[in-house]
Amino acid sequence: MATPERTWVPIEPGFFTIPSDRTEAPRLLGSRCAACGEVFFPRRRICARCLARDTVDVLLGPRGSLYTFTYAHFPLFGSRRADAGGYGVGQVDLPDGPRVQAVLSGGPEEFRIGMEMELELEVLRENSKGEEVVIFRFRPATEPGGAK
Amino acid sequence: MKLQDVAVIGVGMTRFGAHRDRTLVELAREAGLRALDDAGVSFRDVGEAFVGYMQASPMTGIKIMKEFGLTGLPVSHVENASATGLIAFREAAHAVSSGRCDVAMALGFEKMTELASGSTQGRGVGRDTIDSVILPAAYFALWAMRRIYERGTKPEHFARIAAKNWNAGARNPFSHRQADHLVTIEEVLASPKVAEPLTSMMSCPISDGAACAILARKDLARRLRPGRPLVVPLSSSLQTETYTRGHTFLGPVVGPPSMTRDAALQAYEEAGLGPSDVNVALVHDAFANEELEYYELLGFCPPGDAEKLLEAGETELGGRIPFNTDGGLIARGHPGGPTGLAQIHELALQLRGEAGVRQVEGARVGLAHLVGGGSVCTVNLLRRE
Repeated sequence: MATPERTWVPIEPGFFTIPSDRTEAPRLLGSRCAACGEVFFPRRRICARCLARDTVDVLLGPRGSLYTFTYAHFPLFGSRRADAGGYGVGQVDLPDGPRVQAVLSGGPEEFRIGMEMELELEVLRENSKGEEVVIFRFRPATEPGGAK
Repeated sequence: MKLQDVAVIGVGMTRFGAHRDRTLVELAREAGLRALDDAGVSFRDVGEAFVGYMQASPMTGIKIMKEFGLTGLPVSHVENASATGLIAFREAAHAVSSGRCDVAMALGFEKMTELASGSTQGRGVGRDTIDSVILPAAYFALWAMRRIYERGTKPEHFARIAAKNWNAGARNPFSHRQADHLVTIEEVLASPKVAEPLTSMMSCPISDGAACAILARKDLARRLRPGRPLVVPLSSSLQTETYTRGHTFLGPVVGPPSMTRDAALQAYEEAGLGPSDVNVALVHDAFANEELEYYELLGFCPPGDAEKLLEAGETELGGRIPFNTDGGLIARGHPGGPTGLAQIHELALQLRGEAGVRQVEGARVGLAHLVGGGSVCTVNLLRRE
């Protein structure tokens, strides 16, 4: 018998979506400048490029290209895995322009610059209400294409 | 704004290291008194003070300045992350240059060991907020991995820089790390991995310490220390990030590498100098791969030639442009607040010809560079007159 799924809540609101279908990839919450068209993550109300005070909300991802990465040989603070030895960190270029820095899931040998990455959610911990606190990260995309 | 009619008349510092048995007050007093004595002035002569630290609570700077005496002195706090010490220096230089005072003091202090032994939150390693997910080492490792990809750089290049700076630290009595043997590239590569491709010996240690510089009008400097060469700050640039496509907003410890290029261009222009005029450079080598990038970004070689400059030994003592003669952040240490003032300490000794076994022969122009999280970059040029 399947145990009921706990509710997922974001580590901070306003950065990413939590799809009701957990097999679906999350999206990032970004902004597009209404004046010059530049796209940003995270959301902002003033364009960093042209300073216009008019931006519109956009959904970004879930796929992008790995610009650079490393593998930190330290347990990641806050990790639920007691045996966690290290973790990947990378910067992913989204097709709309933003470069997003985040933790990567996967072993130290799994990453190559230029490879396609896909967003996923990671459960960090349980909060006092019994909900699971999630954050976004990237993993190597399982099959090519599909970026939308 | 170009700096005018101001000189560094005194410098002083504690040795950097793990000073677990000494208080911030003791460290700050030692550095400050050394600088005052080096300058030949009384604390009563100081017209304005700028105090830099990152971790202690608000008001700590004003409280610590009372240790030197209660003279009614105007004191201001300065904090710009890792660049704090150089920004305190910059403010003191401008205070004199603008005529606000005749003598100004820049003092930095920090106990990073107290932070390291406490909570890990707030140091960029916690995951309780979305904006603090990685270690500084991992962030700079992202630069290193990209450079390996673009330029074919080898981990040996980073190790060579680290070994150079470790061995420089062994010649500096104020350096945190003082190896009892000649550090080799192999040894650096074999030390524990921190974040691919960086090892622990390519990374700065956790240090405590204090450092101080006293600045004054040139005529005062000549009168106080006749016969001693004047150490003259010519320019001090300070920049935050400029937006370009691919900018990373969330999580970075330090902004794009181009900040160093832009801040350097501004400092050179204001000083009326170019990279070929510089004889010694102190830079933010918290991680060894940074120094390699700065060879290019500060204009000492064309983009892509940093490895060649390194391989030719040009950035070692005796080379065309020695970098981090005091050991840099990797060996001398990086306690935050005082780091930039330790760089000014080293440049003052170099430009006065008092650096002993570390002396760069005939050094006339020195450069001090730091980046700081948030982020900022500062480039400072000083000349012997």
